[in-house]
Amino acid sequence: MRKERSLWSDAFNRIVKDKISLISLIIVVIYTLIALLVSMGVIASDWQEIVGPEYAPPSAEYWLGTDFLGRDVLRKTLYGTKVAMSVGLFTCMIAIPVGIFLGSIAGYFGGIIDEIVVWFYTTFSSIPGIILLISISFVLGKGLTAVYIALGATSWVHLCRLVRGEVIKHKNRDYVQAVTAIGGGHWKKLFVHILPNIFHIVIINASLLFQVAIKSEVILSYLGIGVQAVPSWGKMIDDARSELNNDVWWQLFGATIAMFFIVLAFNILGDALRDALDPKLKGKES
Amino acid sequence: MKKFFMPLVLSMFMITTSCTKSDSAKVKADGSLEKVLNIVVGAKVKGFDPNQASDRYSGNEVARIYEGLLQFHYLKRPYELVPNLAESMPEVSSDGLTYTFKIKKGVMFHDNACFPNGKGRELTAEDFVYSIKRMADPREQSKGWWLIDGKIKGLNAWKEKSGKADKTDYSEKLEGIQAIDKYTLKFVLSKPFPQFLYSLAMPFTYAVPKEAVQKYGKEFINNPVGTGPFITGKYTQANKIVYTKNPNYRDEFYPTQGAPGDKERGLLKDAGKKIPLVDKLVVKIMTEEQTRWLNFKKGKLDSMSIPTEEFANVMIPGKGLSDSFKKQGIVERKVVGLDVTYNAFNHEHELFKNNKKLRQAMSSAFDRDSYNKKFYQGVSLAAQSVVPPNIAGHIMNFKGPYQNFNVEQAKKLLSEAGFPDGNGLPEITLHYTYSTKSRQMAEVFQQNMSKIGIKIKPTGVTWPELVKLVNTKQTMMFSMAWGADYPDAENFLQLLYSKNSAPGANGSNYSNPEFDKMFEKAAIMSDSPERTALYEKMYKFAAEEVPWVIGFHRVTYGLIHGWVENSKSIEFDHGMAKYKNINMAKKADLLKKL
Repeated sequence: MRKERSLWSDAFNRIVKDKISLISLIIVVIYTLIALLVSMGVIASDWQEIVGPEYAPPSAEYWLGTDFLGRDVLRKTLYGTKVAMSVGLFTCMIAIPVGIFLGSIAGYFGGIIDEIVVWFYTTFSSIPGIILLISISFVLGKGLTAVYIALGATSWVHLCRLVRGEVIKHKNRDYVQAVTAIGGGHWKKLFVHILPNIFHIVIINASLLFQVAIKSEVILSYLGIGVQAVPSWGKMIDDARSELNNDVWWQLFGATIAMFFIVLAFNILGDALRDALDPKLKGKES
Repeated sequence: MKKFFMPLVLSMFMITTSCTKSDSAKVKADGSLEKVLNIVVGAKVKGFDPNQASDRYSGNEVARIYEGLLQFHYLKRPYELVPNLAESMPEVSSDGLTYTFKIKKGVMFHDNACFPNGKGRELTAEDFVYSIKRMADPREQSKGWWLIDGKIKGLNAWKEKSGKADKTDYSEKLEGIQAIDKYTLKFVLSKPFPQFLYSLAMPFTYAVPKEAVQKYGKEFINNPVGTGPFITGKYTQANKIVYTKNPNYRDEFYPTQGAPGDKERGLLKDAGKKIPLVDKLVVKIMTEEQTRWLNFKKGKLDSMSIPTEEFANVMIPGKGLSDSFKKQGIVERKVVGLDVTYNAFNHEHELFKNNKKLRQAMSSAFDRDSYNKKFYQGVSLAAQSVVPPNIAGHIMNFKGPYQNFNVEQAKKLLSEAGFPDGNGLPEITLHYTYSTKSRQMAEVFQQNMSKIGIKIKPTGVTWPELVKLVNTKQTMMFSMAWGADYPDAENFLQLLYSKNSAPGANGSNYSNPEFDKMFEKAAIMSDSPERTALYEKMYKFAAEEVPWVIGFHRVTYGLIHGWVENSKSIEFDHGMAKYKNINMAKKADLLKKL
């Protein structure tokens, strides 16, 4: 007889069984470790140091070459990893609670609350994202905190829509009616019973949101309205615009490769999670 | 990498070649070829109101249409004022307060719908009275008011009165500026203002016709009507402004004298000829350097400055212009700017207020040599104080005591300032106008300061944002540059005068009674060895005080196509396109080689 497993351990098993998903997961873990080590000052804290000549190509000494000042591109890339991962994390930490809360109350209560929330996110999402980001970062001033808030405040809409739809679907199901029958209140029904049943959507979305936030940070920094004073992949790509003319490709290479792997990993992981967390597949062999 | 881009480059090449064919010069009625000067501008042009011409780009366009009493001599150096709409240089009273101008007879405004029958009328002294008053009209909000503020008798009182009245009354007679008769204009100053004549060569003070201002109102800025050598229609904020030669332009001639060496360089070939020499001016507004560069290489622009990233391919170190450009008849030109760049301290911020040692430490820690090499190809001049070379007040071979890169000295000064190794210092925000290059510049400064333990946080903002931050005194440090309005050290020294504090030109809010005293004394002195001595004293004083981390006097290189004649770099390029010429035979020949 097969042992009973929870949805989460089942999902984890599915992911580690699939090689590509497993590799993606490992990549995410590695990036997280790098970000943590940089935050603690163990690595890349000396990114400002001039280590060699200007524009030294990649070599055994400087793995990713040096930039226009003679700073190590590898250190800048690693520092950029911390910036990118922190932006992903904080964006999710702002956008997900907002999306869940607004989506669930809109879906559950319906009526005027639903109309207000739907009106709000429709209006919000009709403003071009990048313009909204620029204006928010103008209001909040420049810097990493402004980027967190700007991205968090602009990226909850998609999740909010999904959660609203799911809650509408679930709120009349038998198990919810059963809770009503035994005298459960609105909040109990919503947060204790419905939410756990739709939480897989949140997880999948978080994974996708994470990489969208990273990409947005790169774009903002490339445009000069993102992070200030510390290295970022976007700023490295901006530097590369003029460097490419002179055959200096390593700064672009470092930033894009670093970005490529984490974005790809999160995308694959998002897909894998969707398969793994689908409750209909629970207990079946993949 | 290169292979990857080849198809793109090829297709672009084919498109442009097919274009050039249809682009060939038009033949005029008399059988000669139409001479067109193609000028490029790197920023948006606001429009054609002299009152609003506060940036260089708008000022240059205004000066093609409008004219002032005086102008700078195109060829002579040091810069010399010569009459433009004035018949001759003015008579000045012995106390230096009264200036009497005779203006030229028979100068006609361009034909325009604002005049009766659409025919331009003659310019009179009254037009100058009107135009100067217009600078003081509170309803016009002129960007040039600072220039004459408190200097012309009765004008400030008139401005105040007009502000209270419902409507500005231009008919009131003022003592400070009067039309004695149709062709005589008299200025009476309320205090000596030795730079007054320079201000009459700046676009702010150019003559505008009352009729046009009244007819077009708010749209006057887009409807240029002047007396100048070129005419253009309504300005539509497009990316191209086309000017044609003014057929009724008075008899003006190319200068017959120049600076030493001008004759050998062929700059006097057209001496004595009637100007303007070209039939048409096409001003193209291109904000992207890459676009300008490709257009220049195709011969669609007559000149441009060398893009930073192309510099190594264009100018070969120790050899000058590379052969491939020389073969195409392109010539290089070195432009020594009358300017100074700086990272200013906000002296109203607690940190810098009375902390001279800290300022000196930061100045000593700034490695100007490598900065110069990185961003100016090593050709700019490391500034020793605030006044650029080639004007009185700059001291040749003077070495500012804190302008030299010296980490040891910087560390010592920093600990004397009470922050050994930067301990106890907060992070210092440096605001700059964002572009990739200026970000890199700020990063170098950040890196230099980190060597002595000072943490800098470079923060990029837009130009209007930076101006706002500086004007409201909300910065700690900020990056800026100042370009001369006229060739007088006063124009630079006033940046440190305490009464010019933000929102005035002294954005650093530097305030020092000793400096103020010297400045006030020099400001009313006319050009003399005594004044130069005083300027030099202030120059040294500023070097010792380090009011800013003083950067560079910039030197840039431009490229010019071989067919452009009479091209000489001039800092005050107001309306100088009228002197330029095109050698059409040479152009046809050289275009084939591009």
